[in-house]
Amino acid sequence: MSDYTVKVLIIFCKIEEPKLINLPQLIIMKRSKLLILLCSIFFVTNSSAQKEPKFKFGSITAADFSTTTYEIDSSASAVVLADIGSTVFEGNNKSSFSLVFKNYRRAHILNKNGYDIANVEIPLYTNGDMEEELQNLKAVTYNLENGKVVETKLEVKTAVFKDKINKNLVIKKFTFPNIKAGSIIEFEYKVHSDYIFNLQPWDFQGQFPRLWSEYRVAMPAFYTYVTLAQGYQSFYIKDQKNTRTAFHLAETRGTGASDKASFDANVTDYRWVMKDVPPLKTESYTSTIRNHIARIEFQLQSIGEPFTYQNVMNSWPVVAKDLLEDEDFGAQLKKDNSWLKDEVAIALKGATSPMEKVKNIYAWVRDNFTCTNHSRRYLEQSLKNVLKSRKGNEAEINLLLIALLRRADIQADPVMLSTRSNGFIHAVYPLLGRFNYVICLTMIDGKQVYLDASESDMGFGKLNYECFNGNARVINKDATPITLYSESIKEIKNTTVFIINNEEGKSIGSMTKVSGYYESVGMRNKIKEKGKDEFLKDFKKGFNTNFDITTSRVDSVANIEEPIGVYVEFDVKSGDEDIIYMNPMLMDGIKENPFKSAQRFYPVEMPYAIDETYNMQMEIPKGYVLDELPKQSVVKFNEEGDAVFEYRISSYESNIMFRSRLLVKRTIFLPEEYENLREFFNLVVKKHNEQIVFKKKSNP
Amino acid sequence: MMKKLIGTLLVLAACFPAKAGDGEYAASKISPALLKNAHVVKRMEEIRYEVSSYNKTRLYKKYAITVLDEAGNDFANLFEHYDKLRTIKSIEGRLYDGNGKELKSLKNKDVEDRSNISGISLMEDSRIKIHGFYYKVYPYTVEYETVIEFNNTYMFYPWFPQPAEQYAVEKSSMSVVCPSWFTFQYKMFNYNGEPIVSEAKEEKTYKWQSANLPAILKEYAVPEWQEITTCVFFKPDKFEFEGYKGSMSSWNELGQFQVQLNQGRDKLPDNIKQKVHQLTDAITDANEKVRILYEYMQQNTRYISIQLGIGGLQPFEASYVAKNAYGDCKALSNYMYSLLKEAGIRSCYTQIKAGQGEYFFMPEFSTDQFDHIILCVPMAKDTIWLECTDQTLPAGYLSGFTNDRYALLIDESGGHLVHTPKYSLKENLQSRNIYAILDEEGALQIKSTTQYGGLQQDNIHGLINNLSKEKVKEVLHEQLDFATYDINSFNYKEERGILPTIKETLDIAVSNYATITGKRLFIVPNVMTRNYRKLPPDAERKYDLQLGFEYIDIDTVEIELPKGYKTESMPKDVVVESKFGKYAASVKLKDDKLFYFRRIEHYSGRYPAKDYAELVTFYDAIYKADRNKLVLVKNEEAKKGF
Repeated sequence: MSDYTVKVLIIFCKIEEPKLINLPQLIIMKRSKLLILLCSIFFVTNSSAQKEPKFKFGSITAADFSTTTYEIDSSASAVVLADIGSTVFEGNNKSSFSLVFKNYRRAHILNKNGYDIANVEIPLYTNGDMEEELQNLKAVTYNLENGKVVETKLEVKTAVFKDKINKNLVIKKFTFPNIKAGSIIEFEYKVHSDYIFNLQPWDFQGQFPRLWSEYRVAMPAFYTYVTLAQGYQSFYIKDQKNTRTAFHLAETRGTGASDKASFDANVTDYRWVMKDVPPLKTESYTSTIRNHIARIEFQLQSIGEPFTYQNVMNSWPVVAKDLLEDEDFGAQLKKDNSWLKDEVAIALKGATSPMEKVKNIYAWVRDNFTCTNHSRRYLEQSLKNVLKSRKGNEAEINLLLIALLRRADIQADPVMLSTRSNGFIHAVYPLLGRFNYVICLTMIDGKQVYLDASESDMGFGKLNYECFNGNARVINKDATPITLYSESIKEIKNTTVFIINNEEGKSIGSMTKVSGYYESVGMRNKIKEKGKDEFLKDFKKGFNTNFDITTSRVDSVANIEEPIGVYVEFDVKSGDEDIIYMNPMLMDGIKENPFKSAQRFYPVEMPYAIDETYNMQMEIPKGYVLDELPKQSVVKFNEEGDAVFEYRISSYESNIMFRSRLLVKRTIFLPEEYENLREFFNLVVKKHNEQIVFKKKSNP
Repeated sequence: MMKKLIGTLLVLAACFPAKAGDGEYAASKISPALLKNAHVVKRMEEIRYEVSSYNKTRLYKKYAITVLDEAGNDFANLFEHYDKLRTIKSIEGRLYDGNGKELKSLKNKDVEDRSNISGISLMEDSRIKIHGFYYKVYPYTVEYETVIEFNNTYMFYPWFPQPAEQYAVEKSSMSVVCPSWFTFQYKMFNYNGEPIVSEAKEEKTYKWQSANLPAILKEYAVPEWQEITTCVFFKPDKFEFEGYKGSMSSWNELGQFQVQLNQGRDKLPDNIKQKVHQLTDAITDANEKVRILYEYMQQNTRYISIQLGIGGLQPFEASYVAKNAYGDCKALSNYMYSLLKEAGIRSCYTQIKAGQGEYFFMPEFSTDQFDHIILCVPMAKDTIWLECTDQTLPAGYLSGFTNDRYALLIDESGGHLVHTPKYSLKENLQSRNIYAILDEEGALQIKSTTQYGGLQQDNIHGLINNLSKEKVKEVLHEQLDFATYDINSFNYKEERGILPTIKETLDIAVSNYATITGKRLFIVPNVMTRNYRKLPPDAERKYDLQLGFEYIDIDTVEIELPKGYKTESMPKDVVVESKFGKYAASVKLKDDKLFYFRRIEHYSGRYPAKDYAELVTFYDAIYKADRNKLVLVKNEEAKKGF
């Protein structure tokens, strides 16, 4: 396996009360190169902020409109002048604490392509009992008309809409009135939340450049949060002050009377500021931009004095133990589950060996249940209900699989991970919020096999490449850390072509093409939709007009364990040309460089390693002699051979032997390697375009 | 009241037969002819649209479909929309296995309820209920029964027994049950015969039925779905909608309904009135006034869609747009109408069906077949069309979004059916000149100048007006058809007008454009205008061909070649003529310079199915010719001879 294992680009500082020590630490990464890259980017550039801009709601002057382009990005269509947020803790009348999040934002819309910034959505969570509450919303548009600043206020009562997305989420949304190119907009609001687990994170970076992005949190000593920061931007200000604050709690009793309590506690005011943050561009071959955006977030770790100490964020083994006892996760797995008796019998189909048992149970679950959501880490219904309704999220389906396997005396454990598009997880802290996927790990004859029965198109032991996102955890007694690397999956594609002269002296040939496994999944779906005939019709369409396909066949369509094979036989059309030019790749060459942009800002992340081999053997067409062969070459991306391209061609008597192999072993390439990578593929495309030249024999 | 209810229940019972017993839906009972090309077979369907009054109608639907394979699952789930105008009264459902044995029935708690706001809207009252059995043992059958109540007679849904391709139908029926005073019209496609009409005391029933419709496999460039499958459209002569009364007896009367909805919504606040006069009073040319006010509107408003209840048909008032500076297509068109009115220019609110290739329209059937509003300004000489939802289109240009189709013009007297202009062959012209230099390594330095006209400039118009320069560069980096290249510079210049054109200049460096192997140099003279269309041959083509948009492309290319090469193989001149168009390409070599010329005319229109083979040949010939290579060989090598 590759030693290249950089997966998590997270740096964190842990806030430990009451010692108040900031401990910047770097985790992970074996490569020193990336270590240096990251070290240099995340520290405060200027802690003694000299001149801080002041933003007061409504203090817009005519002069503010004079800037029409901003230095940070001359082509920006809108610029966030200030985005300032804060969170404080308040005692509430439920004898507990609430979070009060405030957000103030000022933005300058420079042209109509920036109008999007005037549409605002504020998500509010609810669980039926408690609902986050939007308060004190104020939004004003400012335009400069005849040298004067004209205000248009949002009519909060009539123009703020409430969209109930589902039972846990409500979105309040509005758009600013009277927006024009040149408008300055301002809003502020408060969200009052009783979910102390939900301390608002902060994105310093977004779709538009941000000139000033600031977040403050007044952290009381009795709550300890772990702070996680990520991204490539440095803080302009990062400081903290200790204060003492009075907290008032109340509890209303049924009679209307209430108990009150007050106390003072140490509070640390944290402040993080970034200045001139450019927008983050989406680039191709990126798992998710969320891995790269400048952001800070928080996880509740413990509750302390004056309350009874409670460790909220435990070590992984404790978290795993809790999960296994959780009704919404593993509680059912520990039980005898005799209600599964009949299903186990049906699924087993009389299998006796452990391997057969696992295969049959896995296939039964995969083929009988529909996955309706591929991004969940908990049960949203009981396993009994999953069994009844025949549908569920991927966690439900895979936990049911585990229950069935265990019932059949097979060792099976849940594995929790975060898919590539959901972003990296933390290697050390058990931050469950970052996980979104559950699969199954089983042990058969001492061999580990990962199973995901929620993917109806995948074969035994195959996972969607989305699952290969680095660190993951087995949810067992030890919470065993495991890694699933994209380098470990190889998309292997093999093509073999033979061209010979038949008895009549005509060139005829055959091509056998075995696609990579993931490509096969896509092909199978196409065949399911339109049928084999239509699929082959399309396949033939890909051949150029110099070939007449006489026979075609597609194999392993129904057998999803295997990649799909396509076989064709063809006649090579020939006229009476003096010269024949022929690309030995036929139509299979790579015609486009996958890396289009000239520049790259963050690592290239490919879904899997690539191994594509193309072999051709041909007889020189009858009546012709070989005039020119393309040159052989071997291209290596680097000394280690992380990507290698071989182009080998030779002739012997009347035969030509040709082989092209493209091997890309690594799946992550750093921005500084990008130019090389692009050039590497440029050479591949160039060689794949080269021609063999045959000339007609002069009269004998 | 009680009596009436019982009456309804009886009718219901009569209409819906007893619950399907075991075996009725057994897949074995499906005739083999219906299985061909099908993922799904509709076993039965009974739809009943029952009119009680002008503001209360009910749609009773019952259907059962047998899902034959995995691809058929897409049809197995139930999706029911609801909003302020329609309420879901009940949903029932049952699942049967392949033998037609009932496995389970729907429980209300399993019905999911979701917001259904479309991506373009800020707010809508649209919600959706979803249910599925998620069975995966094929074949299986689902049966659903729903009752939906409408508070109006405006929404009168057509009957489509066959909603999609690869979907066969055993039997389906549609009944309209209405009081004898209620009159309506219908329009049938691919339906043989007439509906069965039965009259009771104060009630009449119309019934259409259809059976044994084999699955349709869509082909390339087929006509609209309505033309190839059975369907019936309906319209009430009179209707009510949220307190408004209207008629669909004629286009004129349908238009009058909109006149009512728009009544009094054109009042502008004083400051805007003053602005109108300030902008236009000094101008004498009426066309110029229109242009100025249109651009004023474009610069001072934006598209925000809010659709609530009747707001789906009725525009926000002009004063609302004036204050908020936003609105949807209705609100912005009505606002523009009001601005023009203040300037003394008459214009018409115009209903249209927007989108590329929306050909289907029933001009003799006056119903709301529209989904978009534009503005029509009749002028002394010509008509000016204004797309008020777009902030960048030039005044008078409709674009591919609304050109060449029917539209309903609304004026004080009602509605008038008209046809929007078509942009024709010569107007949709792309003319490209390339001067390029090829070096010894095969790299090509390209300077290209391209003039795009009419519909051929629509995409580029969108690109350069909706994206920042940085983003345009990114797009150019992704989209050009070269293996590896860099854009050195680019520029766009728009000629705005009734027929806009855009001039594009690009400076591009392409690595390895030509392939050099030893002594030879291979180069494709067609540098930037290659046709990608290639169609699979199909001996059994069934449906007519409907070809969308007509255009001409002209290319001239001049490439300076490295010195010391001479021709080994030169592509022959290609000339192709067919009923679909004309194509010509030629290459010449002179003094180390390559000259290439290409011209294509591509026609639009409707062609019989049998012409398909000719279209395949036409595209194949172009595909091949566009990729023809010129092969050069180094002089000294050539001298050695063979």
